[in-house]
Amino acid sequence: MEDRPTSLWRDAWKRLRRNKLAVTGLWIVAVLVLVAAIGPWITPYDFLSQNLDARNLPPSLSHLFGTDDLGRDVISRVIYGARTAFLVAVCVTVIALLIGVVLGAIAGFYGGIFDRVMMWFTDMTMSVPQLLLVVVINASLKQPIATWMEGMYLATLNPIWRNSALVDFVLVFGSMALISWPPYARLVRAQVLSIRSRPYVTAARALGLTNRIILLRYVLPNAMGPLIVAVSAGLGTAMVLESAFSFLGVGVNPPTPSWGNMISDGLRVWTNYPHLLIAPAAVLAVVTVAFNFLGDGLNDALNPKGQK
Amino acid sequence: MTALLEIKGLTIDIARDEGPARVVDGITLSLEQGESLGIVGESGCGKSLTMLSLVGLLPNRIRATGGTAIFGGRDLLAMSQRELRAVRGSEIGFIFQDPMTSLNPVMRIGDQIAEALIYQKSMAKPAALARAEELLATVGIPSPKERMTAFPHELSGGMRQRVMIAMGLAGEPKLLIADEPTTALDVTIQAQIVDLVRDLKSRSDMSVVWITHDLALIAGLADRIAVLYAGTVVEDAPVQALFDHPTHPYTRGLLASLPTLSDEPMSRLASIAGTPPEPGRRPPGCPFAPRCSLVEPACTAAVPQLTPVPGSDPRHRVACPVTTRGAS
Amino acid sequence: MTTLLEIRNLSKHFDLRLGAFGERGARVHALDDFSVDIAEGETLSIVGESGCGKSTTGFAILNLHHPSGGSVLYKGTDLAQLDEDAMRPFRRDLQIVFQDPYSTLNPRMTIGEALSEPILFHKLASKADLPARLAQLLQDVGLSARFASRYPHELSGGQRQRVAIARALACQPRFIVCDEAISALDVSVQAQILNLLLDLQDKYGLTYLFIAHDLAVVRHISDRVGVMYLGRLAELAPAANLFATPLHPYTRALLSAVPEANPRAPRNRQMLQGEVPSPLAPPPGCRFHTRCPLARGLCRSQTPAFREITPGHLTACHAVTSPTATNWETPA
Repeated sequence: MEDRPTSLWRDAWKRLRRNKLAVTGLWIVAVLVLVAAIGPWITPYDFLSQNLDARNLPPSLSHLFGTDDLGRDVISRVIYGARTAFLVAVCVTVIALLIGVVLGAIAGFYGGIFDRVMMWFTDMTMSVPQLLLVVVINASLKQPIATWMEGMYLATLNPIWRNSALVDFVLVFGSMALISWPPYARLVRAQVLSIRSRPYVTAARALGLTNRIILLRYVLPNAMGPLIVAVSAGLGTAMVLESAFSFLGVGVNPPTPSWGNMISDGLRVWTNYPHLLIAPAAVLAVVTVAFNFLGDGLNDALNPKGQK
Repeated sequence: MTALLEIKGLTIDIARDEGPARVVDGITLSLEQGESLGIVGESGCGKSLTMLSLVGLLPNRIRATGGTAIFGGRDLLAMSQRELRAVRGSEIGFIFQDPMTSLNPVMRIGDQIAEALIYQKSMAKPAALARAEELLATVGIPSPKERMTAFPHELSGGMRQRVMIAMGLAGEPKLLIADEPTTALDVTIQAQIVDLVRDLKSRSDMSVVWITHDLALIAGLADRIAVLYAGTVVEDAPVQALFDHPTHPYTRGLLASLPTLSDEPMSRLASIAGTPPEPGRRPPGCPFAPRCSLVEPACTAAVPQLTPVPGSDPRHRVACPVTTRGAS
Repeated sequence: MTTLLEIRNLSKHFDLRLGAFGERGARVHALDDFSVDIAEGETLSIVGESGCGKSTTGFAILNLHHPSGGSVLYKGTDLAQLDEDAMRPFRRDLQIVFQDPYSTLNPRMTIGEALSEPILFHKLASKADLPARLAQLLQDVGLSARFASRYPHELSGGQRQRVAIARALACQPRFIVCDEAISALDVSVQAQILNLLLDLQDKYGLTYLFIAHDLAVVRHISDRVGVMYLGRLAELAPAANLFATPLHPYTRALLSAVPEANPRAPRNRQMLQGEVPSPLAPPPGCRFHTRCPLARGLCRSQTPAFREITPGHLTACHAVTSPTATNWETPA
């Protein structure tokens, strides 16, 4: 009783730190975040600048990952790709999480008609093939949004509206968030349903506390554990998804570097210049595995009963 | 009578991130053929772990780290998992507390019992099914033929516990270990199950170990009782001697804090102050010393050994230097 | 003695939807026709086996499960008619302590936070007085003030149950439902908590509804005892009468099934045959007739009235007419 009180979060953090794989994953993710944040200041070359005298160079000291068919430095493009991947993953996850938590919590806590409508809505969303949805959104909304942005530019003369990468990002965020939120909603709903009937929630009702206080202070904090695990795995999935869509040409378009479109480009010439495929693919693989290690570690740390 | 089971100096450790913590600390117990032994203690005293260690069913991270357990001339603690598998069921049967989670929910109960027979007794399937039906009748399940094809969730708690008992008896074991078999049941159903096991026991030479926290329940069931506290045996006595001369301060405290139907209404119960030590935070010397009203300096110096109680049954032994003073 | 709660014909049914598409409706009769007056300062115990509706009774009285019928009169208001918002002002006075010490406290809140919540919400103390009030509450339940900064998982089962009692006391209630509040605890700790409840009753004049399955425990704390079977009250009597002259055949069987801490105790038990029928389809007539040694034709068709046999001693049995004799001696 002499030692200071430990919250469940602190205990979980202690358990996480003892898990070597999770710590490795955490470090890789931390490096990714750092690289994404300070990318423009550490890249040796501009990711767009072409050097037609130095095309398809193999890895060397001056170009660690070599150069591509336009003579652009591959490591600089991979670092910018990390920015893209991270930006997309975080934004998509945050949007999906917000939708999922709000809908899931309301459905689980209030039940009844809220619940039935929400579940109906989630099932609908989940039943649409993801790729099809993204392709349809791209095909039908890209032009209207581009037109609208051109109109905004003409009205405001602010050059930001002329940035074509922005259209990609809005479309990618929107369409990916749209297909990513249902699992969060279902998870939160299931958590809330099980926590809602715990004695401490009933005790809070018996104390006369309002539903808002009960939901925010008693139910949601206890639903966080599995949600954190899902978010960690979800970030990795979102990165893969972004690469997959960019690979298929319905995500981030060139010249904005994305690991997906780099892999797509590299695939066409991989027999002659394998480094163009290996560099982005290896980075994507490492990052995805890191997120999975971290997710598994978080799962064990937050649910110690499940550990073997 | 010969000892069927002889446990000597058993220690069990739980592996924790901060290092191992001792949960069972040098338990010595013996059980004779045909005897009914009650192991009594509160949660965390190591009563279940002691018995689980005998058949190699300790949970992950918990290990028997010392001592011997001689059963039929062989040391159970030195056996491989393969050897123990042959002992489990056919020589030592188990009944667990929660019949819902101890039965396979997707298997018909007749098949579950028959499987044990096919595995343990190398019976052919038709013979095993016939025997399973007999066993269901033996444990008092009405219309056993119809029940053979039922799934566990279709039975009530009491019926499921009868099925568990039938499975425990399937291999005709020499020793049946019943781990709190009635704790999850209502009192009228508990009375039925207790009568059933007592009846089954009287018809065979099987030894039974009852693990329980309920002194009142065990009073009518056991020939001998071992009281456990914080992983040690503090008192070991024939049932009559234990209730006539409870000697260890913990046993006395337990009996005094036990509500009974003959108490005065609205009277305060005697209670033992404090709580049992957590594993890994055992006090030096007698583990009960911090809660004991009779504590003396000698109590914290060394772990007391079981010594005979003067003036009681010769088999009545207590690990307390204060209350057994006068003995050699 | 003044009446604190006047409960009349309280019932609670749960509607289930069964089948793959919820096409079959089913109704669980958890509680039917429960009527009793609870006097200020008394302890009324409700005993019975699992599924008899004893916990539902506590939840229905507190309107934590909205009753399906009947009334709960408190301070001239029928609580059974109130919705969650209208109920809120009354919650302070009527508290509950649960069985499972491991899930009774919010694992993400310190003990201090858990106890502060009702005090601040109901404005029972200012922020400045809060630490003193917390220390007082913890002292009341036999814990030191240091516990305020602890989290529930750092406490033993008995300590958590003390905190749960302190949380109920934080509202300065008049009435506490103890829903199997000591059933999950070890014997030596059980006695501590039982004594604590008795001390707090003396100190604050509390009224308890003590829900339990252990008759020996109930004997220690109750002024009156009600025995429930399959959603109905079978017998209600002052504690001394109930244990000395149980009238209902179910009460007698229940008492004789309690093991005695005496190896020499005679074993002439009245063993009940069979098990409790499903509350989804309670038997017609007296709900106990399927297991009753005295059951005859009338019991199978007609629900027995809850009648007073001796002053204050009521039972619902066709066979029992006086404390000593039954209507028929040989089972039909």
